[in-house]
Amino acid sequence: MITVENLTKEFKTVTAVENISFNIDYGEIFSFLGPNGAGKTTTIRMLSTLIGPTSGTIRIDGRDPKNDGAYIRSIIGLLTESPGLYEKISAYENLNFFSSFYDMPADKRTSNIEKYLKMFGLWERRDDLAGTYSKGMKQKLALSRALIHDPKILFLDEPTAGLDPASAHMVRNFIKNLKEEQVTVFLCTHNLTEASSLSDRVCFIKRKIIRIASLAELQDHGRNKRIKIIFKDNAERYRTVLEKMEGISGMEIKDNTLSIFVEEPEKSNPVIISELVKNNIDILYVNEIKASLEDIYLELIRDEGTR
Amino acid sequence: MKNSLIIFRKEIKEVIRNKNIWLPILIITIMFSIIMPLIISLVSGSIFEDEDTIKFMTKVFGDVEDPEKVFIGFIIKQFLIFLLMIPAMVPSLIAPASILMEKENNTLEPLLGTPIRTRELLFGKALTAMIPAFVISTINFLILTLVLDVTIYIKMGYIPLPTVEWLIVALILSPILSFLLTMISVIVSSKSTDIRSAQGIGTVIIFPIYLIIGLQIAGFFLINITYLLLACLVFLIFCPILLRIAVRIFDRENILTRWKMKA
Repeated sequence: MITVENLTKEFKTVTAVENISFNIDYGEIFSFLGPNGAGKTTTIRMLSTLIGPTSGTIRIDGRDPKNDGAYIRSIIGLLTESPGLYEKISAYENLNFFSSFYDMPADKRTSNIEKYLKMFGLWERRDDLAGTYSKGMKQKLALSRALIHDPKILFLDEPTAGLDPASAHMVRNFIKNLKEEQVTVFLCTHNLTEASSLSDRVCFIKRKIIRIASLAELQDHGRNKRIKIIFKDNAERYRTVLEKMEGISGMEIKDNTLSIFVEEPEKSNPVIISELVKNNIDILYVNEIKASLEDIYLELIRDEGTR
Repeated sequence: MKNSLIIFRKEIKEVIRNKNIWLPILIITIMFSIIMPLIISLVSGSIFEDEDTIKFMTKVFGDVEDPEKVFIGFIIKQFLIFLLMIPAMVPSLIAPASILMEKENNTLEPLLGTPIRTRELLFGKALTAMIPAFVISTINFLILTLVLDVTIYIKMGYIPLPTVEWLIVALILSPILSFLLTMISVIVSSKSTDIRSAQGIGTVIIFPIYLIIGLQIAGFFLINITYLLLACLVFLIFCPILLRIAVRIFDRENILTRWKMKA
């Protein structure tokens, strides 16, 4: 659905994106994660044909944005970082205006406007000026606009920003359901919980791509496998015993809690536990902890920063 | 074309709703098309009772058979220049408002994310500025012609308008000027973040029009067909140059990366 090869974007003195490549399948939810200024928005703008690359190739639904920009824009939905609504016309007029640019029958347009305004709880206030809407309502209206023509690909830049928890939950469920309709979702977010709950794969970017993987693959990687052991007394006392053991790649101690990083938990865990028991160490609790996306993100970005 | 018309329809609704745009246009139209010609026509008789005025008229026009008729002809030439104020003013009020509202609301990015092409967007914006300019200029022209013809006919028994000069201004020079002003406004608006300062271009353009009126009154020259056709030619030369600059500025990438946006 989306193929990107060796994509680079340079502005006058800055390289915003450098030599990135990835593929996104039909119906995949792909999250783009990275710090501010990492090149996320620039990438979205290139993929949605708003700006051209300095070098590299892009194919969206098999088409080249250079030659088929209008076609590509007809099959994508774009939620920009800022809602970008016409504040002096009503919510209904906003959707009616934007939907006019797509090749859809008038009755389909009307029914979609009604469908999304109702879905996001804006139908009752459809005739109010968009400028009178709250931040969350504007975000919902912008999301409705991105969906109004039933796009095959959705580019969502911070879709739940400004939404209350219930609305954010509703939007996340909606994005999950898009998968069943084979809609491809390209998600940019700083909300790592959201990314981990929605994404099939995540891509870490900081000008260059740091890593692309599924959450399971990331959790299965190196220092991301952790065991948490809570002792009856201070864990520092057992440091020497643990340091002698094989298969431990690192450890963190805080009071009576020990976190150890293991390469192969299936192999190492039974050995570690039996060694501790053999040494008459009182263990209150043992648990294997899967690293959160936040832990992985921070580690990858930190590693990238020290390079 | 379809997409340009979608832009045009939306924008024109907003123009109608925005009294900051149509109120100054309405005031100028009433002032220059109705009030001023009425006053001048009403007082023109008494002007020729004053000796100093007759001396001045003789100095400017020489010895003429019918100084009152010459004076009316002179006044019509002044109004001819007033006619240019509307096509200069309307685009310079509408185009900056239309473009800078997009910047203010950050609507350009989602708009450019639809299948619209940038040249369709530019064309739609240009139509929004040029069609009202043409319509209002024409209405202005008709009202002014009617007011002058009726009052002069009542007072002096003849219908002076329209003249060839009058038709050149209304049908050729005004549309060219409104096109030029639209393009200038587009260029200025892309570099500006403030509607008022971008609209200031209208004031700057109107100033030379006042200057022409002043120079005519002072007797430096009188507008004639040759001058008007020359002005049309000069403006026409500038049209493709400014269009090219505006098209280059109205490039998708330029808009998103180089246009000065509101923070």
